[in-house]
Amino acid sequence: MGKNKLVKIPSSEGIRGARRTQMTDRGPIMGIIPPHMMKELAKRGDQRQRDMALKTLLISERIRGRRDAFAQVYVAMPAGKKCINDYDAKNKEGEEYLPGNAIQDPESSNDMAVKEAYNGASATYDMYHDVFERNSIDDKGMCIISSLHYGEKYNNAFWNGRQMVYGDGDGEFFNRFTISIDVIGHELTHGVTEYEAGLYYSDQSGALNESISDVFGSLLKQRVLNQKADEADWLIGEGLFTSKVNGKALRSMIEPGTAYDDPKLGKDPQPAHMDDYQDMPHSEDNGGVHINSGIPNRAFCVTAIEIGGYAWEKAGKIWYATLSRLKETSDFQDAANKTFQAAGELFGDGSMEQQAVKKGWDTVGISVVPSAMRARAAAGAAAGATE
Amino acid sequence: MLIHFERTGGFAGLRTAVTLNTDTLPQDEARKLQEMADAAGFFNLPEKFPLPKRGADYFVYRLTVEKDGRKHTVEVSEPAVPAELRPLFQYLMKHAR
Ligand SMILES: [Zn+2]
Repeated sequence: MGKNKLVKIPSSEGIRGARRTQMTDRGPIMGIIPPHMMKELAKRGDQRQRDMALKTLLISERIRGRRDAFAQVYVAMPAGKKCINDYDAKNKEGEEYLPGNAIQDPESSNDMAVKEAYNGASATYDMYHDVFERNSIDDKGMCIISSLHYGEKYNNAFWNGRQMVYGDGDGEFFNRFTISIDVIGHELTHGVTEYEAGLYYSDQSGALNESISDVFGSLLKQRVLNQKADEADWLIGEGLFTSKVNGKALRSMIEPGTAYDDPKLGKDPQPAHMDDYQDMPHSEDNGGVHINSGIPNRAFCVTAIEIGGYAWEKAGKIWYATLSRLKETSDFQDAANKTFQAAGELFGDGSMEQQAVKKGWDTVGISVVPSAMRARAAAGAAAGATE
Repeated sequence: MLIHFERTGGFAGLRTAVTLNTDTLPQDEARKLQEMADAAGFFNLPEKFPLPKRGADYFVYRLTVEKDGRKHTVEVSEPAVPAELRPLFQYLMKHAR
């Protein structure tokens, strides 16, 4: 069984393709929309409009024998084409220095950070495209930008709302932040979450946001390594610590709280159950977003292992389908309810997959409330109020 | 001048902090710190900078300075750090553990 069993759906044949054909019966449109408008659409429309406009232009330009006009548009906005750019921040720190100097041919660079950032972003693009039928971070093919060598001995990687930023690490505790491919998947997923769910980056919605990034970061690593759920290490940031640190990674999704225990860095503080949820002030890690993420991380892990096979094929699809249903203030309970609902829609109510989702959340002390029950409870409360 | 600096958040979610007293620092170090705090206009900075609307995994900084009976704390996230404050943060990070 190849790793792409459920996966390789050409973009023109997938769900989006089906929607597109439905909405863009090109016969009438060709006659209605003048070519200049079509070119604008090809440049500035959403993905569906661009695809449609490009196809239409291709046909009309062929008819007229003018290929140059088409070529021009095609370069500007090829449908489903990967656009990945790397920049060198030249060890400067501060938003004003981003993105930095453009790097030519990052894929063949001798600079490890540049190469890793390029390949990691490329593999993440592929996963979102091939498995989840998503076209880049915004689902409209936006260019994926990474800046490398940010700051001096900078111990971090982050998403600034527009691009990914990577530090070199201090060399004492941390290696360069591109060293672990799941870190790249994690950062890029912050962009996806911003577009789909817009989860507030503080307290429980922030911890959920963090968990979603760990989930898809780990799925990326598993897909690249062709690992099934029970073969994966479920570690986040493996290789990021130098050999001086007593720890295997920054986080363990399967056993939160066990990733490191070091005399200088302390012990991995992640809880593995709601009983150990940590209420923290906002000034501490935005209310512990990197702490409490351990709880939903473990719920995903248990779900994926319970389902079996490649985690991105089923558990990943359930979580991805849930993304757009979350809102800014969604908490763990909301995520539990909505993953359960999504599993029902994707695989059937009462299916093995849906039961696995329930088991995942049960393990961390969260009981899913099916939507039918929620509706009944709400109706009951309303009836009670009027009595 | 008493300084307490901490940095939390970031991808690793680790806490790094340092407390410095200019009375116990070598003179040139103490002067440098004082100059950087002055250059940033520290006591006139807002207590809380607006939270970034987008972005994730950025550092969250918290700096408290006590001087001549005055005490002021500033909380700011990485994308919002004003350029005047950055040299002080970078200096303090070199001392922080
Ligand atoms: Zn993150």
